[in-house]
Amino acid sequence: MNVSVVTDNLGYLLAGAWPDGPVGGLLLTLILSAASGLASAALGLVLGIALAMSGGRTRRVLILGLGLFRAVPIVMLIFWSYFLLPVLFGLAVPEIGTVVTALSLVGGAYLSYAVAAGIESIGRGQWEAGLALGFGRWQVLRVIILPRALPAMAPSFVNQWTALIKDTSLAYVIGVPELSFVATQVNNRAMVYPAEIFLFVGAVYGCLCLVIDRLAALFAKRRRPPRSRSA
Amino acid sequence: MGLFGDLLAPRYLIWLLQGFGVTLALSAAVCVAGTGLGLALCCLREVGGRFAEAVTTAFVGLIRNTPLLVQLFFWYFGAAALMPAWLTAWLNSPHSLPLGPADLTWPAYETLARFFGLTLYAAAYIAEECRAGLNGVRPAQREAALALGLTHFQVFRHIALPQALRIAWLPVVGQYLNTIKNTSLTMTIGLAELSYASREVETETFLAFQAFGIATLLYVGAVAALEAAGHSVARRDPAGTTRR
Repeated sequence: MNVSVVTDNLGYLLAGAWPDGPVGGLLLTLILSAASGLASAALGLVLGIALAMSGGRTRRVLILGLGLFRAVPIVMLIFWSYFLLPVLFGLAVPEIGTVVTALSLVGGAYLSYAVAAGIESIGRGQWEAGLALGFGRWQVLRVIILPRALPAMAPSFVNQWTALIKDTSLAYVIGVPELSFVATQVNNRAMVYPAEIFLFVGAVYGCLCLVIDRLAALFAKRRRPPRSRSA
Repeated sequence: MGLFGDLLAPRYLIWLLQGFGVTLALSAAVCVAGTGLGLALCCLREVGGRFAEAVTTAFVGLIRNTPLLVQLFFWYFGAAALMPAWLTAWLNSPHSLPLGPADLTWPAYETLARFFGLTLYAAAYIAEECRAGLNGVRPAQREAALALGLTHFQVFRHIALPQALRIAWLPVVGQYLNTIKNTSLTMTIGLAELSYASREVETETFLAFQAFGIATLLYVGAVAALEAAGHSVARRDPAGTTRR
């Protein structure tokens, strides 16, 4: 074991060439995962509500489309957005935008099922009571259903976020200098201690995911007592 | 010639199909080995005592909380440096096992690293699905079996495990689908599977829409077929997977 290869390149692994050059390394991994985490949460919420509120043909089309995103490897989706985004918008899209788009679509597709399931888990009685009081369907959703369903969905959002942190490593395939990519750069330059480099990088990802997981568990525990009393 | 204009020349279609073949072969091998290892891990955790439980829990947590890409890099670039020299030399030299008409040749180190990395990853997830299945077996089932005089191991083997596998089947099929998609990461360590082939075809022909389109359809086809097969197995099961 030789840790000097890690300590010598620590700055580069953590932040890339920043502040003298573009942001990279762990910092870029965090930026990518935060951006795609927020975008996929928004997308998942909208699509999940659409899935729960629609019926018939709209719902079938939606399920087919979401299934497509879940059936294709993320690498292929990154290729697709790398090729299609400039065609659609007629301008050069930076690689980072490409990755965030692909990850947001995948994350959103997975989350929409969790959101729809959360909405459908609220009993029919709640809907009927709301409608009987003279609310419209969307009012019932906004005022009665979502306030109860959203806290229950929180774990899904956190899990999706940790999954996204791991998936940002796929930005490697189009040369975005996030943590995995700079690790291979360091590895190619040093040539001699590959095991140390990738063990360190794995440990960084692992710590990140575990910290988020623990925080979420803590958050869930603090929420639980009042909820069980009211139930 | 527009976005949809040109068709791919037969030669490029063959590239894509060859890549698809590699994807399917690797996925199948990983699913089989991953299921075996995942089940072994799950059983070890259940009946192997406190030490085995701690080790398997740590292993599963480690695998599930790091990106597969980094794991593949580790097995591909890093593991050889940590192994004793004689083992590296043995793995790198060709071996073959004469099996009558067809000799079984020992695969190259690269192939082993890809297969090994994907298998460990799949096994960790399958082990978790099996554990969830075990947790889904009602405690009264075990208590009843114990009351009938079965030992703890017998209860696990004959009562808990069969029910757990039935509960875990569809989630495990989900992990098989993930395995098909995960094989795409081996393109980063030089395996000419479907994603790699689609990018090669795109680079040579500039027909991105066709190259990525065909690759996407092949992935969707494989995933849909496997999912349908998984559900039909679940339906044919007389005890019923959906019945808890």
